[in-house]
Amino acid sequence: MDSNYKLTLKIKRYNPDTKESWVQDYVLEVGRILRFTDLFRKINNELDASLAWNSSCEHAQCGTCAVKVNGKPLLACELLVENAVNQFHTTIFHIEPITIAPVVRDLIVDLEKAYERVNEAKPYIIEPAKNPSQGNDYQIFPRNLERYVDATRCINCFCCATVCISSHKGFLGPNAVMASIVRLMDPRETARKERLDTLYSEKGIYRCHTSKACSFVCPKEIDVAHFIALAKEGRFKSKDSR
Amino acid sequence: MNTNMAKAGAESPVLSLLERLPVLSFYARTRGWHYVISWCNRIAGLLLVIWLWLHIYFLAFLYTPSTYDGNMKIFRYFILVFLQWILSLPVIFHAFNGGRLILYEVFGKRNDETMVRWMIGLSVIYIGLVGLFMIMGNQSASPFFFWLLMLLTALICGYGVARKLWHSEHSIFWKLQRISGAFLLVLVPAHLLFMHLNPSVAMEASVVIERMQNWFIKAVDLILAVAALYHGGYGLFSVLSEYLSSRILRKGLVCVVAFITIIFAWIGIRLILTV
Repeated sequence: MDSNYKLTLKIKRYNPDTKESWVQDYVLEVGRILRFTDLFRKINNELDASLAWNSSCEHAQCGTCAVKVNGKPLLACELLVENAVNQFHTTIFHIEPITIAPVVRDLIVDLEKAYERVNEAKPYIIEPAKNPSQGNDYQIFPRNLERYVDATRCINCFCCATVCISSHKGFLGPNAVMASIVRLMDPRETARKERLDTLYSEKGIYRCHTSKACSFVCPKEIDVAHFIALAKEGRFKSKDSR
Repeated sequence: MNTNMAKAGAESPVLSLLERLPVLSFYARTRGWHYVISWCNRIAGLLLVIWLWLHIYFLAFLYTPSTYDGNMKIFRYFILVFLQWILSLPVIFHAFNGGRLILYEVFGKRNDETMVRWMIGLSVIYIGLVGLFMIMGNQSASPFFFWLLMLLTALICGYGVARKLWHSEHSIFWKLQRISGAFLLVLVPAHLLFMHLNPSVAMEASVVIERMQNWFIKAVDLILAVAALYHGGYGLFSVLSEYLSSRILRKGLVCVVAFITIIFAWIGIRLILTV
C-alpha cells in the first residue's frame, strides 16, 4: 500500500492590508497519518511562510483550528490525510475559514467577535447556589448526569454555527444556546429565570428550525439539535430537569 | 452525531440517485440530509404562502357566477391540470414534514429516520391519490360529512399540540404557529383532495355556491383561511427575520407581514361570508 498521498490544497487567502482575497494552490506529498494542521505547518516550513492559520491544543479540545474543508466545517487537528481522502473521495481540498465572524487573515477568523454571541448567553454560573451542607455534594439525578456530561463536551469551535440554517444574524447560534442549556442543567445555577428568558427570547430557540446540521458536523459528536429540542419541549423549565 | 440517513431497504437506490445531484449532494455531504429537507420545507412553505395569497386574490375577482365559470374554464387545459397536481407535492411535503418537526420538537420523538420514511411513503400515496382522482374525475362525497370528519381530525391534532404547549414558557405566537400547523396538517391536504374529487367541485359556480350556502362549510373555510394566513405570515416573518440583524428592521418586517396578512384575511373573510 502506498503510504504517501499527493494532495492539492486550494486555500482561500485574505490580506487585510490590501483587502485582497484569492485562492492559492499548494501541492504536497504527504504521509497518510498526518493531520491537516501538520499540512499547514509543512506549507509554512517548506512552501509559504506567509500562510496564516490558527491552532492551540491540537487534540480537538480547544476548537481554534476549525476550518471548512470542501465545504464542511471541521477541526483541522482531527482530520487525518487518509480519512480526508476517504471521506471526500478526492485528493483536492478546498480550504476556507469558517464563516462565523470576519476573517482576520487567511484561515484566521476574529474569535473575539464570534464569542460575542456566546457571551450573550453567559457561559458561566450567574448566581451560584449556596454551598451544600457538610457531607453532601451538589446533586444531579443519575438519569440526567449522562445527558449533562454529553452537553458539557462542547468546545465552542463554531462548526455548528457555521452550518446553521438560521444564518448568523438573528440567532445566538447552536453553541451559545448549548452554553445556556448546560447551565440550566447545572445544580449550582439558581438564575433559572434569566436563563429561560434568554432561551425563549427573540434570538433564542425560536430561530432554530431543527435542520440538524449542527448535530451532523459537531466534531465532539454532540446531538445539539436534540438538546435544543428538549428546550422547546420545556424540559428545562423546572429544577427536576437537571 | 452523524445524522446521515441509513441507506437500507427501498430508499437506498433513491438516496444514491439524489447523492449524484450537484447542489443537493454538496449540502447533503457537508450538512446532512435533514438540512436539505429543511431548505425544501422553507421553499415549499414560501410557495404555499404565495399560492394562498394568489388564491384569495383571484377568487375575490371572480365574484359573479358568469365570471367564475368563464375564467375557470382555463383550468381544464392539460398544463394547468398538471400544475394543480404538482401543487400537491409542496402541500403534502410541507404538511408531513411539519408534522415530523412537531413530533420531534414538542413530543420528543427522536426516531427521525423512521419518520422521514413514513413522510415520504405517505406523501407518495397522497400525490398518487390526488392524481388518480384528477384522472377519474367522477368522485363525489357529501361536503358536510367530509368536512365534519376532517375538521374533527384537525381539531384533535391541534388540541394535542395545544395541550402539550399551552403552559410552556414559549411565546404565544410560536405556540399558535405550532398549533395552527397541526391543524392545517389535516385541513390543507383535505382541501386540495376535495377540490379534485371531480371537476365541478371547484370549477362550476353553481356547485360552489350551493356548497357555500351551508353555514358549517362557511365556518370550516373561515377557520381554514385564518389559520393558513396566520401560519404563512408567521412562517414568512420567522424566515425573513433571520437575515435582519437590526431590531428596527425586524419590527418593520412584523408590521409589513401583519399588514399583508390582515388585508388578505379581510378579502378572504368577506368573500367567504358573502358567497
